[in-house]
Amino acid sequence: MKLVINTDPRLLHIVRSVIRYYAQEAGFPEADVDCLAMAINEAASNVIRHAYDNRPDARLSLEVKSFPDRIEFVLEDEGRKVQPEAIRPRSLDDVRPGGLGTYFIRCFMDESSYDSTFTGGNRLRMVKYFSRRVSSSDEGSSQERG
Amino acid sequence: MKVQVRNVDNVSVIDCSGDVDLYSSTDLRGTLLKEMRSGKPNVLVNMTGVSYIDSSGIATLVEGLQLSRETKTRFGLFGLRSNARSVLELARLHTVFAIFDNEKEALEKIATTEPFGGL
Repeated sequence: MKLVINTDPRLLHIVRSVIRYYAQEAGFPEADVDCLAMAINEAASNVIRHAYDNRPDARLSLEVKSFPDRIEFVLEDEGRKVQPEAIRPRSLDDVRPGGLGTYFIRCFMDESSYDSTFTGGNRLRMVKYFSRRVSSSDEGSSQERG
Repeated sequence: MKVQVRNVDNVSVIDCSGDVDLYSSTDLRGTLLKEMRSGKPNVLVNMTGVSYIDSSGIATLVEGLQLSRETKTRFGLFGLRSNARSVLELARLHTVFAIFDNEKEALEKIATTEPFGGL
């Protein structure tokens, strides 16, 4: 499945609905369904804010692939290359607005990584395995892999 | 998302409903900061009707918390659904906000709550 939408934040609820549908169809429990929808919402929000500076008329694409052991999400844009420091999660002890989107992605996904070879903008690949579940032990310790 | 303000005694209650995300959090932000800057001594956000909140919504609440220190406003949340509470806990923010189960408890306790959150 591939979804291509404008970078209008009013459309984020559609992204969440699509992800919920696919995650439910793939067999994830309801708690994980919500987590996956939120992770993709945060990734798309990062694209809108950081790659397109809140421009509502650009495009982003989201591809979802189901495998026997996992579900993969690939989010692509043609915007400005996102610098890792711009979206680095903040320390949870540093209570201030912002800096949580990437933290939530890392909490809810088993893998997340930018494709450094992608020249058209940004390509973020996120993976969730069926066997792993979000737990408190994942908090703050998730690292980009793959 | 809908945002409406009620005044109950000396408390400004901001009723939110629907999804709070990158798009709709701007409405909540505008209302929340306006209430705080207008000199209201107590501000509560009613989240009973909030079905979803993302990092943008959380950032708005944290911004309100920070402003409450400057304006010396007592600030609290009530009626959080389990998903909203889980998000706050995941971000370890559940201890910095004054969080009440329901409106009755919030109205009873906000005036005696430690002001300015835990910042």
